[in-house]
Amino acid sequence: MSVSRLPALRFFGPGLRRGVLGGIIGAAVGPLPVILLTTAGDDVNSAHVLALGYVGVLIGWFAGLGAFGPWLRWAAGREADHAAAVAAHGHAGDWRRYFRFTTDHKVIGTQYMLAFLALFLVAGSLAMVMRLELAQPGQLFGTDTYNTIMSTHGTLMIFVALNTIVGGLGNYFVPLMIGARDMAFPRVNALSFWFIPPALLLILLNPVFGGFDSGWTGYPPLSRQANLGEQAYLLTFITMGISSIVSAVNFLVTVARMRTTGMSWMRLPIFVWSLTVTTAIALVATSVVASALTMSLFDRILGTDFFRPTSGGDPVLYQHLFWFYSHPAVYIMAVPAFGAVLEVVPVFARKPLFAYRLAVLSFIAIGLLSFMVWAHHMFVSGMAEFFHIPIMATTELISVPTGIVFFSAIGTIWLGRLRFATPMLWVFGFVWSFLIGGITGVYLADVPTDIALTDTYFVVAHFHYTIVGGMIFGMFAGLTYWFPKFTGRMMSERLGKLHFWWFTLAFNAAFLPMFWLGFQGMRRRVADYPAELANVNLWASIAAWMIGLSMFVFIFNFIRSWARGPKAGPNPWGARTLEWQIASPPPVENFDDLPVVTAGPYEYGGRPVMPSPAIDPSGASS
Amino acid sequence: MNDRTSPRRHLLIAGAVWAVLSIVGILVVLGLQILPVIASREAVIMEHALIVLTVVSVPVLMFVVVGLAYPAIRFRAGPGDQDGPPIHGHQRLEVFWVLGTFAMVVGLFVYGSVGLLDIRGDQQAFLEVEAHAKQWEWDFEYFGAKEFHSPELVLPVGQRIHILIESKDVVHSFSVPAFGVKQDAVPGRLTQIYVTPTIVGTYGVQCAELCGLGHTRMQASVTVMEPSDFADWLAQMQAGSGG
Repeated sequence: MSVSRLPALRFFGPGLRRGVLGGIIGAAVGPLPVILLTTAGDDVNSAHVLALGYVGVLIGWFAGLGAFGPWLRWAAGREADHAAAVAAHGHAGDWRRYFRFTTDHKVIGTQYMLAFLALFLVAGSLAMVMRLELAQPGQLFGTDTYNTIMSTHGTLMIFVALNTIVGGLGNYFVPLMIGARDMAFPRVNALSFWFIPPALLLILLNPVFGGFDSGWTGYPPLSRQANLGEQAYLLTFITMGISSIVSAVNFLVTVARMRTTGMSWMRLPIFVWSLTVTTAIALVATSVVASALTMSLFDRILGTDFFRPTSGGDPVLYQHLFWFYSHPAVYIMAVPAFGAVLEVVPVFARKPLFAYRLAVLSFIAIGLLSFMVWAHHMFVSGMAEFFHIPIMATTELISVPTGIVFFSAIGTIWLGRLRFATPMLWVFGFVWSFLIGGITGVYLADVPTDIALTDTYFVVAHFHYTIVGGMIFGMFAGLTYWFPKFTGRMMSERLGKLHFWWFTLAFNAAFLPMFWLGFQGMRRRVADYPAELANVNLWASIAAWMIGLSMFVFIFNFIRSWARGPKAGPNPWGARTLEWQIASPPPVENFDDLPVVTAGPYEYGGRPVMPSPAIDPSGASS
Repeated sequence: MNDRTSPRRHLLIAGAVWAVLSIVGILVVLGLQILPVIASREAVIMEHALIVLTVVSVPVLMFVVVGLAYPAIRFRAGPGDQDGPPIHGHQRLEVFWVLGTFAMVVGLFVYGSVGLLDIRGDQQAFLEVEAHAKQWEWDFEYFGAKEFHSPELVLPVGQRIHILIESKDVVHSFSVPAFGVKQDAVPGRLTQIYVTPTIVGTYGVQCAELCGLGHTRMQASVTVMEPSDFADWLAQMQAGSGG
C-alpha cells in the first residue's frame, strides 16, 4: 500500500474522509476565478459561485475518493496496479468497503439500494408535510414553503423511482443472473454511484438557497426567475443524468458481453431483459434532458436566451425536450418493476413464465414506442394542433405491449400452485395498482378527456398509481424476494405481510379519492382548495400518513431481519435462476467456476418442490 | 390443490364471474354523475368521452381482477404439492390477446379523434375575447366599438366564443372546469380555444399551470348571461371605459 505511514495521512487515506475533505477544498477553490474577476465594489454573482463551487466539489470529491488514480495512471502510460485493483474490489466481511470507491457490483448495488431507500423515506416525509398543508382548506405555511416542499418531494421521488431497482437490485443481481464475476466496467460502475452523494446533498440543501418553486418539471420562464434553489435542482438533475448515462453503458455492455456459456438471449431471466431495455432507453433519452437542463442553466447563469420569448427563445421547446426524456423515464421506472414482478411470479406460482418471448418483445416494443409519446404531456401547451392526433395514437398503442405484462403474469398464475409469501403479495398489489394507473392513463391519452383532466388531481392520482403502484410495488416485490440472497437471512413473513396490507390499503385509500378530486377540478400543485373538498382531502391526508406509518414496519423488519433473521441458505424459494445456485450472501467473486447454462430460467413443472422452511404453503407462516 | 376441476371448467367459471361483474360494473358507471357541472358544448363532448372510456374500462378491470382473484382462491398450493403444469405459453391465445388489445386501441383512437375534431368544432365565433395572464391575475379584454378590460369574464349563453390567450411573464393555463376546457398561456405566443357556454351561471376560471408563489390564488370568475343581459353589460362597460 502506498499510503503514507504518517497517522494523519492514513486517517485521510483515499476514501470517504478524504473525499469529503476534497469536496470542501473544491467548494472553496472552485468559485475563486469568479471572485477574483469581480471588480472591487461589485456584488459577487452568487449563481456563478454556486455553479463553480459545485463543479469544484465534484472534482475534489472524486479526487479524494481515489477515483482518478487508476485512470491517470493509465493515461500517463504507467502499468496498471493489479494489487490496487484487487484492493478496490474489497475483501469479504470488511464493512469499510461499503464506504469506499469499491468496484464490487454487490457493494455498489447495496450502496444504491440503501442510499435510495433512505432517500425514499426523506421524500416520503416531505409528502407527509404536504398532506399536512392539504388536510384543511386555508394555509398553514407560506406558498413558497409549500412549493419548495412539493418540488423537492417530486424531484427526489423521481430519483428514487429511477435508481432503486436499476442501481440497487440491477447492479447486485444482473451479473449474478447472467453468470458473470462483475459488471463489464467495475470502476465506471463505482463512478456512477459516487456522483450521487454530492448531488443529493446539493438538492437537500436547496432551502438554504431560498428553495425552488418550479416543481420537478422546472418549466421556464418560471425556472429562470426562481430562487437560487432552482439552480441546486438543475445541477443535481444534470449530475444524476450523467450518473444514469454512465451506468446505462455499463449495463448494456455487461449484458451483451459478460453472459456465461449457454446463457443465450432467450435464456436471459426476464429481469435482466427488463434492465437491458431500460438502460437502452436511459442511454438514448437522458442526454436530451441533460441538454435541456443545461440550456436552462445557461439561461440563468450566462444570460443565454434559449427559452426566453422576448429574445427569440421558446418556452415550449423546453417542454418538448424535457418530456422527450421524461416520458421514456416513466418506462425507466416501470420496466424494471415489470421485470422484477415477472421474475417473482413463476417462483411462487411454480410454473414457467407464461409467454416469455412475447414478454421480451413487449419490453422492446415499450422501449421503442416510449420515444414517440412524449407530447401527450403537452396537449394544452399550445404546440402545433396537428400533433395531437398522432401522439394520441402512439400513446394508446403503447398499452398493447404494456398489456402483455398483465397477460404474462395472469397466464403464469393460472393453473399454478400459488404460494403467498410476501414477494407474491407485492406482485398482486403491483398488478392491481398498475392496472388502475394504466386504465386512467387512457383518459389522459384521449385528448377530449385530457384537456379537462390534465393539471388536476386526476393526474396526481394517475401517476402515483403508475409510479408507486408500478415501481414501488415492484421494488418491494424485488426487495423481499432477493432479501435472503443479499443478506443471507430471511425476512419476517409476519411483519412483511403486515407491511404489505397496511401499505396497500393506505395507498389505495389515499389515492383513489384523488381521481374524484380531479373530476371536481381541483388543480395540482396548489396549497389551498375550495372548502367543499375539505372532507375528501382530510381523508386523503390521514390515509397518506398511514402510508408513512406503515414504513416503520418495513424499516424495523428490514433492519432486524438483516441482523438477526433465520439463516436463509442458498435457495429458500426454490428458484431456478443462477443467483440462487450460490451461497447467500454470494462470495466476493460470485462463482468459483463460471456456470454453464443448459436450460431456460423458468423450467418449473412436475418435479417436487425443493423442500424449504421458508415457504409455508398455507400462507400463515411467521 | 387437490381438486379435480378441469382447466376448461376453471375457464368457464371465471368467465361467467367476469361477465356478471362487468355487467354490474357498467350499470353502476352509467348510473354515476361523474362531473359536477357541465356548462358548455365542449364539456358535453368531454363527459360523453369520459363515460365511454369508463364503460370500456370496466371489462378490462374485471378481467384482471378475476384473473388475480380466481387463482388466489382456487390455485393455492397445498402442503407437499408439486409444481404446476409446465405450460410455457399458448400461441393462439397470445396472438388473440395482441390482436384483441390492438383492436381496442384502434377503436379508442378513432373515437378520440372524432371527439377531438368535434371539440375543436367551427373556427368561427360570435365573440372574440383576449385573456391576459400575468403573475398572478387574469384580465379579459373585449373589442368592438370600444375596447375595454374586465377582471371577470362575461359571456353570452349559447354563442360560440373565441378566446385568445397570452401571458406576460411565465407559463399559465386558462382553465374553466365547468366548460371542460384548458389551454396554456405561453409568453411569446398567442394560444386559443373555442367554447360555447350552454347554461347561465357563474363558474370559476383558474390557472392550471404552476406559475409561482401566487399560483394557488390565481383565479377569476366567468359569468354566463342571457344575450340581452350580455348586451346591456357590454354597453355599460363600453360607456364606462375611458368614457
